[in-house]
Amino acid sequence: MIYVIDHEDSFTYNLVHLLEGFAPTYVSNYYDINWRQLEKSKIIIFSPGPGNPSNYPETQKVYNKYKGKKKIIGICLGFQQILYAENAHIVPQKKIYHGYQSRVKALKESTLFKPNKVFLAGRYHSLKLKEPFNSLSLKITMRCVESNVAMAIEDTINNVYGFQFHPDSFLTVDGKFLIQKVLQF
Amino acid sequence: MLNNKEYLNKIFQSNKPLIIYKTIGGYDVYTDFKEKITLNSKNFKNFLNKKTLQLKSPIKELNCYIGFFGFQLLCENIKIKIPKQQSLNFYPGLVYKPQTIIKIRKNIVIKSLLKNFRQIQTSKYENKHFYQKKFNLNLDESKYSNLFKHFSKKIQLGETYQIKICQTYSNKSKIDAVDFFWKLMSINESPESFLIRDKDYSIVSCSPETLIEKKKDVIITKPIAGTLNRTKKMTTKFANNFFKKNEKESKEHNMIVDMERNDLSRICKTGTVKINKLKTVEQYRDLYHYVTEIKGKLKKHITNHDIISAMMPGGSVIGCPKINTIKLLNGREKLNRNIYTGSFGYINTNGDMRFNIIIRSILNYKKRAEISAASGVVIDSKPKREYKENYIKAKSLLDLFKT
Repeated sequence: MIYVIDHEDSFTYNLVHLLEGFAPTYVSNYYDINWRQLEKSKIIIFSPGPGNPSNYPETQKVYNKYKGKKKIIGICLGFQQILYAENAHIVPQKKIYHGYQSRVKALKESTLFKPNKVFLAGRYHSLKLKEPFNSLSLKITMRCVESNVAMAIEDTINNVYGFQFHPDSFLTVDGKFLIQKVLQF
Repeated sequence: MLNNKEYLNKIFQSNKPLIIYKTIGGYDVYTDFKEKITLNSKNFKNFLNKKTLQLKSPIKELNCYIGFFGFQLLCENIKIKIPKQQSLNFYPGLVYKPQTIIKIRKNIVIKSLLKNFRQIQTSKYENKHFYQKKFNLNLDESKYSNLFKHFSKKIQLGETYQIKICQTYSNKSKIDAVDFFWKLMSINESPESFLIRDKDYSIVSCSPETLIEKKKDVIITKPIAGTLNRTKKMTTKFANNFFKKNEKESKEHNMIVDMERNDLSRICKTGTVKINKLKTVEQYRDLYHYVTEIKGKLKKHITNHDIISAMMPGGSVIGCPKINTIKLLNGREKLNRNIYTGSFGYINTNGDMRFNIIIRSILNYKKRAEISAASGVVIDSKPKREYKENYIKAKSLLDLFKT
């Protein structure tokens, strides 16, 4: 069972639609978490959403409680929420990417994707990870080819993953493959 | 005895309540309403899930409720409260149960449950119509710009990705709705046009946007995002190139496509939500639109209310993400949207339905005519251009008051 924490985004169900193809998926709003259901789930997903990770303390609680115990995957805002919980700074970027298709490249740090493999990815974010960012276990594993902004993270020790872009967007060409990889690993 | 055409003209000239809805190859006129239900957030769900299933008419086309849901009703339905606004106290939503349908195609075909439907009581109906040429605008250019800047900041902070600022034109008028409607159709016939004329109000609209087209378990939506002012020399090919090359219009459109895919995904079977036609250009009198068609197959046990709640209010006229963007708008909009960005259409007993998004419309109520228009603020928008776009969108309606 996959548990999706919905941050009231208008893209969450694109993600759910993809996930349901792999496993039964339960969705709740971030302010209405079903802790019993969450406890039973194998994978927790933080959905995209508006605003800043600091706006969602409940999701931070979930992360701190289940990090290392269950697989956690964050998409867009969810990606930033994971980084924020790991003491990263999430800051506005000069160029804003809403409805944008970019080329993103897998790095040699990635265990999920072949290094240098390029994906076409749909993006919806005005904020980004401030770098340098250092973590013992969390690695940046994809970057935007043009701007070099961090686009994916992997923590194989704690089983935590994230995409800054939207595998669920129609602008992402191999979205299903990307999701499948991160779910099955 | 009146023939079909004479009968039709007679009802048009009377003050009998009626509804006209554009359909492929012509228009359907609904009248002789047996029942009229005022909808509110308390009876809405029950109406959609129970009341609509109880109809039993021997004439298929009359097995429906037809009418509109206002914007506030649709927000309340998804648990978003609208703060206190300046309001006309217009109906939150109204649906009618027709007993006569007149199909205007090459010929006029009439189907009625009433035996003597042709005998209309024409009470001595006096023509008390009047209208003004000038309109008041609720947001002038400087107010508009300020609001624009405010929302641009919200985009930078990621609180919204796209937000539609609405402007309302109003004046003192009591229009001859049927006359206005046919004038509008002669210059700007669009696929979701409709008219409602009742005793105390009328709505005339040339909406181009289909929100829900549901037949059996297949549901289609056709969001519009992207507008180009049309000049005489322009061709569809030119418009196509413009939209393709214009990064701002493309991104705005992409967002809406993903949002509508999302809304359909809430109610459709896994893997069935597909883009049918991506980014096509539609031509209208004053403008071109950029349109995408998305289709899905409904899950089992999905109710009418589930469908309406997932799809309405239609996202393309609000912005994205839907809920937070409505909340941001609500904090700033002083005027109730009434019908604007609500939906008009019908639900059949068998669950088939068709609904549009109410835009490009005149609401005439309490001797006041109002026309609203909105365009999207995304990060690359310019206030001057969006302000002008709103005018272009309202223009063909405003022009009706000049002749």
